[in-house]
Amino acid sequence: MSDWMYFSLIAVVLWGVVGVLQKLGTNRISADSLLIWLMVGYLLLLPWLVWNVDSSQLGTEEIAVGILAGITNGLGAWFLFAALEKGAKASIAVPLTALNPIVTILLALALLTERLTAIQSLGVILAIVAGVLVSYEKNTSSSK
Amino acid sequence: MQKVSLPIWLFCALASIFWWGLFGFLAKVGADQLSAGQLYVFFVIGMFPLVVVALLRHRWKVETDRLGAGYGVLNGVFSGLGLLAYYAAMEAGKASVVGPVTSLYPMVTVVLALALLQERLNRVQKVGVGLAISSILILSL
Repeated sequence: MSDWMYFSLIAVVLWGVVGVLQKLGTNRISADSLLIWLMVGYLLLLPWLVWNVDSSQLGTEEIAVGILAGITNGLGAWFLFAALEKGAKASIAVPLTALNPIVTILLALALLTERLTAIQSLGVILAIVAGVLVSYEKNTSSSK
Repeated sequence: MQKVSLPIWLFCALASIFWWGLFGFLAKVGADQLSAGQLYVFFVIGMFPLVVVALLRHRWKVETDRLGAGYGVLNGVFSGLGLLAYYAAMEAGKASVVGPVTSLYPMVTVVLALALLQERLNRVQKVGVGLAISSILILSL
């Protein structure tokens, strides 16, 4: 298995567990409170990372990209919550937002000049369709 | 000219698609220059404004149900470790492939919910799991 697939599958499994924890958590506290406790979890890993990472050689551009990534990810989650608050059905909005890799692909093809082989294109299309289908829930117990 | 009115929720959902898609792109640009650990640190800094807004909305009161909070903290630890793996994947591969594959994580959620929470998969999700596995196999060729 190639490195990228190995790391991708680790992320898929860990984030899959996150989905379950989110269901369990929002049964007891609000999404906003959950986000704050989630941040505490993020911070728990921080000392270990800061200790092991040498950031003395970084330029402003690299730092800006890293921080922007955090902000854009937050905005993505924020707008999904907003959609649900503005009356979107979770069974529509959540699968719809699963289309987000299309934007990543377009940007990567246009700006990073990435190219996909025919087989890779097939796999990518299947993955996007699969992402939409698996996130389809008829009646979500977690929505308020 | 005909006036097209977009429901607010749809606008928000499209904005979410845009921001999350841009996140995948920036993750790749970042991973080409920085280590996963460095990116993690900046990611957390970038998340802070969102947490402040959540705190303000609740007037700085956080629900402290022990189990709920525990799930939240664990949520953060697993999200964070997942993020490290995601950045490592972005460094090793192409954003146009890593992005779609890593967005398959709801597959694991529905399978775990089936096993642990006795939730049932609907027919659409079953097809999705099948497609997800075939996509992973095809991309592993």
